[in-house]
Amino acid sequence: MLDAGTTSRSVGQGTPLEALLSQVALGNREAFEALYRGTSGQLFGICLRVLAERSEAEDALQDVFTAVWRKAAQFDATRASATAWLAMIARNKAIDRLRSLPARKVRTDLELAQELEDPGASPPQQAQTASERVQLERCLDQLEPRRRALIRAAFFEGCTYEELATRLESPLGSIKSWIRRSLLQLRECLGP
Amino acid sequence: MSDPDPTEPPSDDMLAAELVLGVLDSEQRSHLQARVDADRTFADRVAYWERRFAPWLSDIEPVEPPARTWTRICQRLGWKESEPGFSGLRGSLAFWRTAAVFSAVIAVVAIWVALQHPPPSQPIAGAQNPPGMARQAVTALWHDDGSPAWLVSIAPSHGTLLVVPVPTRPDSQGRAPQLWVIPPGKAPQWVASVSSDMSETVTVPSQVRASLVAGAVLAVSLEPAGAASEAPTGPIVAKGSI
Repeated sequence: MLDAGTTSRSVGQGTPLEALLSQVALGNREAFEALYRGTSGQLFGICLRVLAERSEAEDALQDVFTAVWRKAAQFDATRASATAWLAMIARNKAIDRLRSLPARKVRTDLELAQELEDPGASPPQQAQTASERVQLERCLDQLEPRRRALIRAAFFEGCTYEELATRLESPLGSIKSWIRRSLLQLRECLGP
Repeated sequence: MSDPDPTEPPSDDMLAAELVLGVLDSEQRSHLQARVDADRTFADRVAYWERRFAPWLSDIEPVEPPARTWTRICQRLGWKESEPGFSGLRGSLAFWRTAAVFSAVIAVVAIWVALQHPPPSQPIAGAQNPPGMARQAVTALWHDDGSPAWLVSIAPSHGTLLVVPVPTRPDSQGRAPQLWVIPPGKAPQWVASVSSDMSETVTVPSQVRASLVAGAVLAVSLEPAGAASEAPTGPIVAKGSI
């Protein structure tokens, strides 16, 4: 019997990455390896950003690709680009792993404090003109510098509310309401 | 705008934003991740925030993971690394070439499948796989250097194959590519003469059709014109497992 999991019925449209993902969804291992070769560097970079410990980031990358193999059929090109979908899986797996670690492996207060002292920190790829990037930065620019820095730190470090409160020596309630207000402002600015 | 009261329960949109921002603890995360799988509306909220924050992730510098990571992924999925197709596509050039070829070939295969099986004029309620819409396996054949060579789509009910080459120059010695199927533990069986630059539909000899099953290997060898078709005599230039 031919492998029933392999079919050309739901073929992918659009970018090569999306075509590869649709092949992975059909159980095509060659496509899966091609996807790994093409995206593992980017996704490992994301894991390392959240998990400073290299061995943890390597384990997270394994979580990422086993999840991609199993969940490729759930990829919906109308909701996200393949790049964004993969990047978010990487970030989610890295944060899930971060949460399971003892607190001592979390990044130091010093690094977070430095990040917060640098509210003007802007993305390294200024030249990129993708409209979603421009819009995100434009809306972030409307936040108070300190809150903008807090949002960036929360995103890149993967810190919980509790961790942010401890590190900044601020009440948990204040941190929560600063971040929530910033998110509301972003939501209003970013639109539907 | 006054700051939100932190004791108020957040809206679904706020929960989605907090999940994507990464400020929730593991218990809240796993609860909301389960909701993403079950609740389409909530999943849409999460997708919104993921899309909005995605530009930040593309700013992160790529870092090449160690080679052992791929081996471990294969182990976790229960695969043997020695299986065909795992020779490794090294480097981004090979990746993009492969990805582009997949993309183009998939489009060709899609058109072929659509022509072979026009959709029924009336939707068939409840039928996931209506008659005439047979599922079709696609097998990639690879050169030894890991570059793609042919894609073969098997139509089991018709005994035909769609064979799509990645175009190459004809063999300098005038030999023609021949497609073989090698069932596990058995000798190669001749399937068809194939082209190195044109896609074509070929008919499978009736006695060979039963061999085109998962686990068998498809291989292309270069054979002199007029060679007998009992067994390959020339070099195997590409292969892939069904």
